[in-house]
Amino acid sequence: MTIRLLPSTTVNRIAAGEVVERPASAIKELVENSIDAGAKRIDVIIRDGGRTFISVTDDGCGMSPEELTLAVERHATSKLPDDDLENIHTLGFRGEALPSIGSVSRMSITSRVHDADSAWLVAIEGGEKSEPSPAALSQGTTIEVRDLFYATPARLKFLKTPKTENSHALDAIKRLAMAHPDIAFTVGDGSRTMLKLPQAQGDMLSARLDRLDAIMGNEFAANALAIDAEREGLHLSGHIGLPTLSRGNAALQFLFVNGRPVKDKLLFGAARGAYRDFLAHDRHPLLALFLDIPTESLDVNVHPAKTEVRFQDAGLVRGLIVSALRHALAEAGHRASTTVSNQALGALRPETAVPQSYQGNYGSNQNRPVMPSAGLQETAREFHAPLSNLDTALSVNALAEDQIQEVSDDWPLGVARAQLHETYIVAQTDNGIVIVDQHAAHERLVYEEMKKALAEDGIKRQGLLIPEVIEMDEGAADRIVARSDELAELGLVIEAFGPGAIVVRETPAMLGEIDIHGLINDLADDLAENEEALSLKERLADVSATMACHGSVRAGRRLNGDEMNALLRQMEVTPHSGQCNHGRPTYVELKLADIEKLFGRR
Amino acid sequence: MKITIERGLLLKVLTHIQGVVERRNTIPILSNVKFDAPDGQLSLNATDMDIDIVETIPADVASSGSATAPAHTLYDIVRKLPEGAQVELDCTGDDSQLTLSAGRSKFKLTCLPTEDFPVLSGGDLPNNFTLSAADLRGLIDRTRFAISTEETRYYLNGIYLHAAEKDGVEVLRAVATDGHRLASVEIPLPQGAAGMPGVIVPRKAISEIRKLIDETEDEIAVSLSDTKIKFAFEGTVLTSKLIDGTFPDYDRVIPEGNDKVLEVDTDLFAHAVDRVSAISTEKSRAVKLTIAKGNLTLSANSPENDTATEEVPVDYDEAEIEIGFNSRYLLDIAQQIEGDRARFTLADAASPTLVQDLDDQGAIYVLMPMRV
Repeated sequence: MTIRLLPSTTVNRIAAGEVVERPASAIKELVENSIDAGAKRIDVIIRDGGRTFISVTDDGCGMSPEELTLAVERHATSKLPDDDLENIHTLGFRGEALPSIGSVSRMSITSRVHDADSAWLVAIEGGEKSEPSPAALSQGTTIEVRDLFYATPARLKFLKTPKTENSHALDAIKRLAMAHPDIAFTVGDGSRTMLKLPQAQGDMLSARLDRLDAIMGNEFAANALAIDAEREGLHLSGHIGLPTLSRGNAALQFLFVNGRPVKDKLLFGAARGAYRDFLAHDRHPLLALFLDIPTESLDVNVHPAKTEVRFQDAGLVRGLIVSALRHALAEAGHRASTTVSNQALGALRPETAVPQSYQGNYGSNQNRPVMPSAGLQETAREFHAPLSNLDTALSVNALAEDQIQEVSDDWPLGVARAQLHETYIVAQTDNGIVIVDQHAAHERLVYEEMKKALAEDGIKRQGLLIPEVIEMDEGAADRIVARSDELAELGLVIEAFGPGAIVVRETPAMLGEIDIHGLINDLADDLAENEEALSLKERLADVSATMACHGSVRAGRRLNGDEMNALLRQMEVTPHSGQCNHGRPTYVELKLADIEKLFGRR
Repeated sequence: MKITIERGLLLKVLTHIQGVVERRNTIPILSNVKFDAPDGQLSLNATDMDIDIVETIPADVASSGSATAPAHTLYDIVRKLPEGAQVELDCTGDDSQLTLSAGRSKFKLTCLPTEDFPVLSGGDLPNNFTLSAADLRGLIDRTRFAISTEETRYYLNGIYLHAAEKDGVEVLRAVATDGHRLASVEIPLPQGAAGMPGVIVPRKAISEIRKLIDETEDEIAVSLSDTKIKFAFEGTVLTSKLIDGTFPDYDRVIPEGNDKVLEVDTDLFAHAVDRVSAISTEKSRAVKLTIAKGNLTLSANSPENDTATEEVPVDYDEAEIEIGFNSRYLLDIAQQIEGDRARFTLADAASPTLVQDLDDQGAIYVLMPMRV
């Protein structure tokens, strides 16, 4: 065998392996080109999951015949005017997409420059391009890709079913569409429209929220908190869902960096950290965050598919996200998501013969209930169940005349009117009713109280008689030692013990006897992944939460009017009182209008 | 097999034995107790594969033989029989069922084959010595509170029993620690114990043997190898596997340079700690000790800023010192001290404190402070 240079078609096919992984990535590249071309409207047609036919049409700036011939050459691009890789303002820049796609499919590009008198067409088949010929097109560019991967049968074999590929393609388009509310998108298969997003109107924030709502499900806008934070030249905006609107997986968490959708575990870690107090382990919030960052402190040239980016200062980005999220959640106070009352109303509708239990089901979307773990449900039921020895028929605890206060609009949670089943407080507000789960609500109040005390007094540390030496790889040990001051504040005192080992001298007293090895190893993983000592904080929070649970008013305890009102007033002034420690709501509010609807009055 | 036995005697043995039998078992035979009746006596045997207990009692044996029956059910039945009843156990003819009759009550219990019953004994136990029951109780009682319950450090889940030397005298020493506190108790080395390996006796074996020797005044024969230990007395034999691990070098954590000595009335101190700790609602239950000349001030506070203080007169002549402890740990140790006065030897707020019973030089307790 002798060494030789590969022919350019082979080179392009190899490049295609990285850039065009599946039809969705081809579509993503083409749509990105359209966005970079300044299009206001992008129409995509996908047939057979993109395997047989893809077409992307835009009304962007278009290309002249000379540009067309160049465009399908490798490393030809209009997007790096100064050859400056440090300052990238466009989605694309590598000049690889068109030749890569062209090398593995039959592609044709028709384009007309804005004020040119005719359109031109270039066709490429398996890497062989034709001369430009005149064609018909009113404005912009249309790219058609047929028989994708026909030239690379191996890739073709690994494609999933058309349905799966189709949904991947839609996902890719949706991500791009979320970042560009000013562009109208349609996606169809030629006969049927799969996605139609009109150009969103209004200022950036409201336009974006409209777009997010259209993509993330129409509960999102009603339950979203706006994020707007700035730190050291970084600007974070976007919307996050209330904790009561949560999902079983992190699929609806989006991060856009300078308009580019990226998949970064930094976001997942930051979200987990910020929502730690409000959601059970297996629930995930909905997020769409847009980060604007100076291009010079960002490296997007990590992978040809550009789904990953590198931050110059990942800690700063993470800190910004966590603090912005926490801040927004704290301001949300006792707000619980409207899905809660909508679901309650849904359960109340007369045609639902048996009101389905919506325990733990809050925030799940549409018809796909995502249930929390069985254990969680069980404990929840245990605490929410009325005591068995109660005569439920008699357990309405209506208030006597003299206990009833006047309704005032200063009190968003209203005035307690009665207690039902010794579990739920019914309160009247000036335009509806509020039903409070007394245990869940009080549990949260006690928990917040404990957190405050812990923050004020500091965490007590129990010294270890026999300091525990833990060996780990050197990088992990260094990461932990670097955080020793922060860990000491959390009650864990450690010191370096030669390379690749640390010694634990004191542990948080409230954790009692703990598996120190397990804790330290978890911490090392956390620090590597999320740069935050999550597992230690979670363990401390778990202990507080358990104590809060035991220290709070149980379901089944009869409360008098003053007690109920006191609970409501406390909820109003306590941050995060809209959900219990597991992210379930503590109260449901039904507006008078909703109730009227139930009775057909509206 | 057909035997008759007095209810009280049978109940006593079953009470001892059923502690070893786990409530739920994946191996059915382990729920059963095995009866063996050669001439004139009945021996009962139960095991959880780690601990094996055999107890032999005199019985009226009409026909010898053996059988197995569910231990907890049997215990429950015998417990409910009237006092003084004569219990007849019979499985002659059909060995798949054991018939228990007493007065007009009759129970038929399903037997499992005797040959399935695991035999744990066997193996050579080269080290033998005897201890008085009171000595063994003393070793266990004053150390077991410090046994760790945290299972990843399995080698702390028991009492470390070993021969040691102190001031030229040979001693048998029991040590337990959970990493926060340590208890070490010693007695003069019994004859034959020299050269014994250091062994870690697991928590469950400790609690079973402790129950068994509660009332006896006999000498206890102890035999051990480096994998098993056997306690035998009055027809009862308990054999247990040992924890296979290395007990940490505890000697190093027993402080020697502590120079601040405090002596206090044990009862006064224990009660004061108990009272003061009532105020702290948090999990860690911290108590602060402020020690000045002749006076100890205990204080605690709650997250809601409730506070408690109590002063206790002490013998103390050094510089003032402040130190925090988990009140439960202090109480645990105070409860072990039987003498009137306890001696605390301290260094500073971050170092281990040594606690001793003035009347009992054989026991020392070490406690790590809590940092507030």
